[in-house]
Amino acid sequence: MSNNILYIEDNPDNMMLVQRALESRGYHLLKAMTGLSGVEAAEREDVDLILLDINLPDIDGYEVARRLRKSSKTSLMHTPIIAITANALKGDAEKALDAGCDVYMSKPINIRELWARVEAFVPMP
Amino acid sequence: MRERNLFPNTASFPQSMTQSYLSHLECSGCGKKYSHDQIHTFCSVCQSPLLAQYDLMRARQNVDREEITRRKRGMWRWREFLPVLHEENQVFLGEGDTPLLSLPRLEKELGLSHLYVKDESSNPTGSFKARGLAAAISKAKELGVEKVIIPTAGNAGGAMAAYAARAGLKAHIFMPKDTPFANIEESRMAGAEVILVDGLISDAAGMAGEKARAEGWFDVSTFKEPYRVEGKKVMGYELAEAFAWQLPDVIIYPTGGGTGLVGMWKAFAELEALGWLEKTKRPRMVSVQADGCAPVVKAFQKGAIFCDFWTNAKTIASGLRVPKSFADSLILQDIYDSEGTALAVSDEEILDSQKHLARMEGIFAAPEGAATLAALKELVQEGWIQSEERIVLFNTGSGLKYLDYKN
Repeated sequence: MSNNILYIEDNPDNMMLVQRALESRGYHLLKAMTGLSGVEAAEREDVDLILLDINLPDIDGYEVARRLRKSSKTSLMHTPIIAITANALKGDAEKALDAGCDVYMSKPINIRELWARVEAFVPMP
Repeated sequence: MRERNLFPNTASFPQSMTQSYLSHLECSGCGKKYSHDQIHTFCSVCQSPLLAQYDLMRARQNVDREEITRRKRGMWRWREFLPVLHEENQVFLGEGDTPLLSLPRLEKELGLSHLYVKDESSNPTGSFKARGLAAAISKAKELGVEKVIIPTAGNAGGAMAAYAARAGLKAHIFMPKDTPFANIEESRMAGAEVILVDGLISDAAGMAGEKARAEGWFDVSTFKEPYRVEGKKVMGYELAEAFAWQLPDVIIYPTGGGTGLVGMWKAFAELEALGWLEKTKRPRMVSVQADGCAPVVKAFQKGAIFCDFWTNAKTIASGLRVPKSFADSLILQDIYDSEGTALAVSDEEILDSQKHLARMEGIFAAPEGAATLAALKELVQEGWIQSEERIVLFNTGSGLKYLDYKN
């Protein structure tokens, strides 16, 4: 396991918070600021887990999750995806899970919970 | 209504000081400390709830529990352990000191010896939310806040509107569109701006959070500011006093956001630190949820320390329709520490128990309160509760505010 975690998120504050939290535990964070670049990064890199914001500037997180699950890189069918969103529309969690995400977390991101959720899929290095 | 200064001889305090022993705020997750004289929401490092801390060692030397029992009734008689420093900032509408009623007929029917209900329906705006919002709005006023915003499944909105009106603050409220009409109307009546959201409390929370950030309004969401739990914790102080400075054996509490459960557990810890308890045995805390939205129950059954977000949440008990509390880890920790339990009841059981409580004891409880009776029946049947134990149910509000679903 490479301990690589991909975070697809356009908000730099959230990105920095999560980067600090995960790197303090020995994980390596790969960053993508848009949905399309996130899909490309997931297909290009060796990724153990994906953190996925839903509100992205190009394609939304639901579409990202659907594309990842249908990717020609078949390992992405099984890569854990944690949706992290501050969305305010009815049924966000349901839609995220339907799109192929494994877990739904709402912002603000509780760092202790994030650690626990990540470690459930990728043991701490 | 303002209480007189009960400490006329303490010359070191200005006349308006309430002698709160508030010392600082502390993150419940990472322990980071924050000053209490600035506006804070939640921990900036780990994004866990902040909790108010008091100088209890100093209070232990200076505060007499018997003196507090002689004060005029109301939540603010516990002012040393509340976060508001200046008496003039206490926004008081009569909250607190709700009755602890024995339930003799139900007791007999269920084969119990000591069954009580703490009836929170007599609070201003008809629910326990008054306590938390009294504390939060008072502290917001003290910190110079002018505009407050809240997402709510119902009663918290009405309470915030009332306290904000009395404090002269502008209130903005995000509610699911199926919130009981009484909550919508009481909020509007008190001058709040009410935005109805096509979704659940979690959806309302997302929208309110975005609006708060965009406009710079103070977000009074459950556990996203440190003071609502302080008002709620007074329920624990009142119970200790009512039970002659002992604590009941079991507390059965309906759990949405969980502020009351966490608050009472905090109160018990503070009472222990003060040395005020005759016996330090704490109650077993029972968290009751509806089976259509039971994230705490599911997590408890798995031994988890966080809840999964509950999808497709549905129950007539709008206060229990919370897919994931911001303080889920605190709720679970307190249940585990108390050797308590968590269980879910159906809407049908809630309605049956609501009728049962009204017909047997004359109490028209909110559905959330009725859920505690439904849970009690199950726990008695399972043998989890013993007949001689002292049991307290919490009725969190008046059934009169939930007449919509009767139509």
